[in-house]
Amino acid sequence: MGWDNALLLSLITDTLMLTWIVVPAVLLGIVVGAIPGFSAQNTLIILLPLTLTMDINVALAFMVSLYCATHLGGGIPAILVNMPGTGGAAATTLDGYQMTLKGKAQQALVLCFVASTVGGLVTSVATVALLPYLAQLGLYLRSVEMVAVMVFGLVLIAAIAADDPLKGIIAGFFGLMIGAIGTDHIYGTPRAAFGFLELYDGVPLVPALIGLFAISEAFSMMERSTVVPRSSVVDTKAQWADTLEGLRLSLKYWWLTIWTSFVGLLIGVVPGAGASIASFVAYQQARMFSKTPEEFGKGFAPGVVAPESANNGVTSGTLVPLMAIGVPGGSTAAVMMVVLQYHGIVLGPRLFIESPDIAYGIFFSMTLSYIVMIFTILPLARYMSQVVLIPTKILVPLILSLTIVGAFANREYVFDMGLALVFGVIGYIARKTNYHVTAILIGVILGPLFEQYLLRSLRIGQGDLTILFSSTTANVLWAFVVLSVLLPWLRGKQQERQRKNLQDRAPTALTGDQA
Amino acid sequence: MNHSPNRSLHMSRRAFCGGLTAAGVLAGMPLSSAFAQSYPQRNFRVIIPTGQGGGAERLARAFDDAWSKLLKHQFEYTFHPGAAGQIGYELFVRQREADGYNLLFGNMGPEMIMYAVQKPNYRFPEDFIYFGRTDIDDSCIFVRNDSPYKDVKSIVEAAKKKPLNVAVSRIPHPASIGLLALGEATGSSYNLIPYGGGNPTYVAVMNGEADVGALPITGVLSLTSQFKVLGVFNKENIFAGITENAPTINSVFGSSIPDLYSSRAWAVHAKWADANPENFAMLEKTAEQAHASAEFRDAFVKTGAPVESLKFGSRQVCTEYANAMVELAKRYEPVLSAQR
Repeated sequence: MGWDNALLLSLITDTLMLTWIVVPAVLLGIVVGAIPGFSAQNTLIILLPLTLTMDINVALAFMVSLYCATHLGGGIPAILVNMPGTGGAAATTLDGYQMTLKGKAQQALVLCFVASTVGGLVTSVATVALLPYLAQLGLYLRSVEMVAVMVFGLVLIAAIAADDPLKGIIAGFFGLMIGAIGTDHIYGTPRAAFGFLELYDGVPLVPALIGLFAISEAFSMMERSTVVPRSSVVDTKAQWADTLEGLRLSLKYWWLTIWTSFVGLLIGVVPGAGASIASFVAYQQARMFSKTPEEFGKGFAPGVVAPESANNGVTSGTLVPLMAIGVPGGSTAAVMMVVLQYHGIVLGPRLFIESPDIAYGIFFSMTLSYIVMIFTILPLARYMSQVVLIPTKILVPLILSLTIVGAFANREYVFDMGLALVFGVIGYIARKTNYHVTAILIGVILGPLFEQYLLRSLRIGQGDLTILFSSTTANVLWAFVVLSVLLPWLRGKQQERQRKNLQDRAPTALTGDQA
Repeated sequence: MNHSPNRSLHMSRRAFCGGLTAAGVLAGMPLSSAFAQSYPQRNFRVIIPTGQGGGAERLARAFDDAWSKLLKHQFEYTFHPGAAGQIGYELFVRQREADGYNLLFGNMGPEMIMYAVQKPNYRFPEDFIYFGRTDIDDSCIFVRNDSPYKDVKSIVEAAKKKPLNVAVSRIPHPASIGLLALGEATGSSYNLIPYGGGNPTYVAVMNGEADVGALPITGVLSLTSQFKVLGVFNKENIFAGITENAPTINSVFGSSIPDLYSSRAWAVHAKWADANPENFAMLEKTAEQAHASAEFRDAFVKTGAPVESLKFGSRQVCTEYANAMVELAKRYEPVLSAQR
């Protein structure tokens, strides 16, 4: 579509007029995202009677701003207390919490905020410019290609458990096994649900996430008086200099922010995929292309930037299939679809001709929400980082009560509260025995999706395994998968060789000196 | 765009603030006026056994626009997808109180097929009954607009040479049975690929992952810019005008495949309906009135679906249809289930 200046100007002014609704939506979204278990989807469903009565532009601006802000909010508890607020922030815990333990919570928060907002901003602008092409791109990523994308995520299990691969594999397979609970994807027959109706649809992500991260961490916290070790408390005192340091680091990793946000955008475009997958894949890719992959998992800034940028990149991607072809890309987009249809908006290609103000307006509202977000949240990093100084005797009951309610809120099953506690115990035992809880979670999240895409591909191939290598896009992705496995190994070998050479040279040099 | 954005924004801001104030006032108001009528006295809680944003939700919300005004109470929805609808039904029967305020809005066709195949822990019509059918949504075969398959005969010809991949919402579904019956009648073979819902099924046909799709027709018609309907599993194609006169399957092949359609309906606990015949009669009567109202039709048109599919059905009509679906599913049970 050729851009008409009058339309562009009208879109900009109309969007600016929506600031009054974007600000409360952003604030609400950040709070909702920061509480594990509360999601944009739940909140939008609860508020649906209100949004249905709003003018369509206002309703969309409200929904999209809240949705984007939840993705940013999810990173806050992930960094501060090792509890991702949403599935998309689970990968952020890997380095975010390590930074907190090193007394760099404020820097980590700033990295998270900048990566989220810049990543979201860049992808929402890119989406406006490239929408017709992105809609087509979504159609190229079919089940076969998605199998390869899932394998990308699963490969991360090996990467994050590099110190003890055996335990990593055990944890990953344990997660995959849990992920296999629920009805089968072909006939819809319940399996391994042990008669629990609540498990028919599989192990729900929210109680698993809350249990493995939040509750198990809360159990661990009981063993100490503060979140961070006493030695780090001095470094944790809030200073504006730390915010500036975070901004400097964000600037340093600007390119990583951009390209990982596009990873999120591309994954978001595929209906059914989401922020959890995008953030793990982005983390894995960032690690693979890093010059210092060994630094990941130890409180390394790119380990915060990559997943946060990617999970916000997803926000614009997930709206592409909804607006361009009339099919929602995820559950939040499905709620938006209800509102759009309630107002008689016909979705699909015609929308861009008949109602360009709505079709493009939604992405303009998204852009505005990210701008509002950065100015709202950035100054707060200094104060938020002080959460780690709250004594655990106060923090732990607060976390447990909030997260247990969060486990219930998602599906409103009391069963889920118990399930969260079970996962809490599993997570606690895993932490104590050095099994990586993230590896378990990756299995729980990716297992069902991997199985679904794999079974579907095999069914399409009518039993022929070569279907998995039948498309150029899939083959390129498979090549990347192989590369992401081989590259760290080759790099390790090279470093080993270099170390050996240095060791060999050292005695020679010594001998030479002596001579 | 046919309205001034600036003006609408000012109006809606006031409306928004006014709405919030009104909600606050209402929340604190005594309920004295509500006691004038014995039933209903409070809002209804509705289980939808499929996900948000699907056809069922859109239809239910359009319907309750009119129905809630007649009943003077609102509808609150919860979504319990999974296991081909089994979760929603089990939850409704086992965990929701049989008090006339808990309803279910389901898709009788696929969900009764699931009932017959999975043999869940509830009984129809002993535990729940359907009433207030809202629509008849014929199963159809469709392809992308640029598909090499131009008519249903070319599909059957291709499927005689090798199994043709067909995207379906679920294996236990009237449209899936239609394909299996077509295979039986013509000697063709279809490889059904379930995508777990209408939306992902559309995407699978759009991106060429599946050669053909089989779904209820109204959703397909809302995406006519992408798809072309090639055949309908019913005695007549009531949408002939908007489907380029797509033929009925039986008329093309001389087969006698039964009419296969999905029908959405409201459901209530049988125990409550039998114990409170007057209240149930009122519920059914108001549902019929809501169905006939212009308000519902207007709201339905906004969803992009054609009004020709709207057909009301009483408890008796629904029960007959549901039982017929069970019988049909039993006939095809070996291919609809994982149990061999």
